[in-house]
Amino acid sequence: MSLAEEYSKTDGESRLSQSIAHLKQNRRAYFLIAPAAVFLLAVVGYPILETFRLSLYRSPADSTIETFVGLQHYVEIVNSDIFYRLLWQTGRWVLVGVAGKTLLGLLIAVHLKNDIQGRKFFRTAFLIPWGIPYAISAVVFRWIEHPQFGYLNAVLLKLGVIDQGIGILGNPDIAWLGVVVADVWIGTPFMAIIFLAGLQSIPQDLYEAAAIDGAERWHQFRYITLPQLKSVILMATLLSTIWTFVSFDVIWTMTGGGPISTTATLVIHIYQVGLQNGNLGRGAAYSVIGFLFLLLFAIVYLRVYTRGGDEL
Amino acid sequence: MTMAGHNRTGLRRVRVYGVLIALLGVMMFPFYAMFSSTFKPESEIFSAPATLVPSDPSVGAYLDVWTQTDVVLWVANSFVISLGTVVLTLLLAIPAAYSCARNDFVGKRTFLLAVLVVQMFAPVVLIVGLFDVITQLGLFNTYLAVIIPAAAFTLPFNIWMLYGYFKTVPVELEESARIDGASQFQILTKIVLPLTKPALVASITYTFLYAWNRLLFVLTFLTDSGKYNIPRGVFSMVGALQTDWRMMLTVSVIGIIPLLVLFAFLEQYIVAGMTAGAVKE
Repeated sequence: MSLAEEYSKTDGESRLSQSIAHLKQNRRAYFLIAPAAVFLLAVVGYPILETFRLSLYRSPADSTIETFVGLQHYVEIVNSDIFYRLLWQTGRWVLVGVAGKTLLGLLIAVHLKNDIQGRKFFRTAFLIPWGIPYAISAVVFRWIEHPQFGYLNAVLLKLGVIDQGIGILGNPDIAWLGVVVADVWIGTPFMAIIFLAGLQSIPQDLYEAAAIDGAERWHQFRYITLPQLKSVILMATLLSTIWTFVSFDVIWTMTGGGPISTTATLVIHIYQVGLQNGNLGRGAAYSVIGFLFLLLFAIVYLRVYTRGGDEL
Repeated sequence: MTMAGHNRTGLRRVRVYGVLIALLGVMMFPFYAMFSSTFKPESEIFSAPATLVPSDPSVGAYLDVWTQTDVVLWVANSFVISLGTVVLTLLLAIPAAYSCARNDFVGKRTFLLAVLVVQMFAPVVLIVGLFDVITQLGLFNTYLAVIIPAAAFTLPFNIWMLYGYFKTVPVELEESARIDGASQFQILTKIVLPLTKPALVASITYTFLYAWNRLLFVLTFLTDSGKYNIPRGVFSMVGALQTDWRMMLTVSVIGIIPLLVLFAFLEQYIVAGMTAGAVKE
């Protein structure tokens, strides 16, 4: 044995013994995080692996025998028209939904920020739509948009916009808008509260100085509020993008993805193919594609979140 | 301040209230539509155009859902599922968060980041793999089939939230308690947890709401209608051809009443929790 080997060996050994010492010293710390770690590995980690595995198999709906098909599902998906339609429909759903929630949330927050009476009441009231079951909000919006008996039609008729009741959710061209409205209604409170918290942390003297300089309110908003709120807006819209992307309950309850799949998004399709039709392999392949999108959002989110590096 | 200045602030106040009330009206209208419809008789619900105020208000719909649907059972199931999720989540989150707040160990950063990533992995993209796991474990059609996934997806928020709060509890307090002979468990339950009460309330509220509101897990893992929660119950009333809107909206109202009570009492904790979860200080 050469001297160098001798050295590297002791080095390795001491590193090992160091690790063991570290483990012993922190035995209690590891013991305390173990239940959560094991639980997450079992309920989230393992299903991720299982999804990847399933995506390589074909499981006929009428039997439990799986055949290994490799990447065939992926090839078929990428070559299918439905995939591109789903991407378009998902993109449209996320973009319009997040934009709606951000703008409406900002509008509410900017007005709630003022020193007004009953702010607590307003804040609670604005928050409520976020806290109730999405499925319930969805049926209420279905009711409001009902082709014959709904309030929306009643209003439009009264205003003379239409002369006959229209069925929004049954119309392939506009059904998605009918669902987006409900989703915006549900998601706006979160944005409003987060923006409000952000607004309240902006130093008041910035506005006072601007007011002395004679800056108009719009300019104050444009040159103080927006730049100061930038990181909060970024964080909130990223989170909202993720949540809107994976939103399931609202679409499922309002349209089930119809009519003729025009309100289906990627995740709705995962559910339809994988669980409703029992094609686990194909559903899993779509899930993996969904993972990739989420991973992309998550990387961006983590980069923004840990920027500065002093968080942990 | 000049007269003009007074007028301007006065005008601004009017405008702010005006905008807020208008926005509130828009946000509250769906609730109004839901509540007012439940007091209409069947003939009025199914008449066009929709009326704003019930012409002949009655509580008939509430009596009907009481006798004709499983609404009581669904509310009870929602409580079972929500409370189960809260207990399981806290049992896992408190030790993990405490451990991370009090110790420096190899892998802590990885653990906390991994937890954050779990929050990104929405249940619905995992549902196919999760379905396999739940079936293999023989949990299909049991409450646990819903409680376990719900706990997994509320765990990240809870760990981060409690981790942040535990860090603010001075170590000196724990050390002096230890000198006085308190056990680790006593230190946690008698000193640390009472000091982190706001965080615990926010955690419990968030977890409770999450489990109460979720349709996906119940839709996928429970086929026995006797185990449905409120969202699933409401969903089951959506008919393929015909929907009994009067009954469905009434069940919806009953399903959100516990949440409205929760909101009235815990608004500040909910806001604190939401803010802590999304925006760094």
